[in-house]
Amino acid sequence: MTDLVPRYNYDSFVPEKFEPCLNFDSSPKTGTMAPDFPLWQLNEAETRLGELLKQHAYTIVEFGSFT
Amino acid sequence: MNALAEKFAEQDVGSIFIYTHEAHPGENVPHLASMEQKFRHARLLRDELGVTRPILVDALDGACHLAYGSMPNMTWIFARSGLILYKSDWTDAHSVENAIEYFSQVPARRKAGERLAGFRVERLDYRNQERDLFYKRLERNGQKALIEFKKAFPSG
Repeated sequence: MTDLVPRYNYDSFVPEKFEPCLNFDSSPKTGTMAPDFPLWQLNEAETRLGELLKQHAYTIVEFGSFT
Repeated sequence: MNALAEKFAEQDVGSIFIYTHEAHPGENVPHLASMEQKFRHARLLRDELGVTRPILVDALDGACHLAYGSMPNMTWIFARSGLILYKSDWTDAHSVENAIEYFSQVPARRKAGERLAGFRVERLDYRNQERDLFYKRLERNGQKALIEFKKAFPSG
């Protein structure tokens, strides 16, 4: 994890740093089950993606950041 | 996307935003090095950019983001069971609205007696690039972010 953290959180938007992160083509297929992961609310309380999905018939999930 | 979330909330459609990593780090909003910083940046997204949907913060190593393809601004739609219904490598409200309207009709169609079976479809949707707004946001991140983007994509 220690090596992955700086690679994932690259410090410059240059192809050799951001391109290795992009793997959409090998991401889970539609029609399969969602991989589950821990996530944290803004109050820093831990939850899980799977628990959030159970709360509604459908859930729209946008990924992104401030930048 | 906030408006879309509000529009469909009464139809039992939830909407969340998962905070990932800084796609275009700059002097003002640098790359992430701690969870404390990641929470601060996520609150900035809420307070400065006005994201009203619940914001969930991914682990510092991007475990969730990487597993789902790690695109900088992608959108997925899931059923309550966890079934993946829609995946888009960019976010466009029109595309998402089109998809959620379609999926929302499935229960009623089944109730009406249709025997429905899932299948995969691939199509090319179109998003508004909103270049002026994008460049303003790069400037907000810092000149470094703007310069690096223009160097990586000279044609914009």
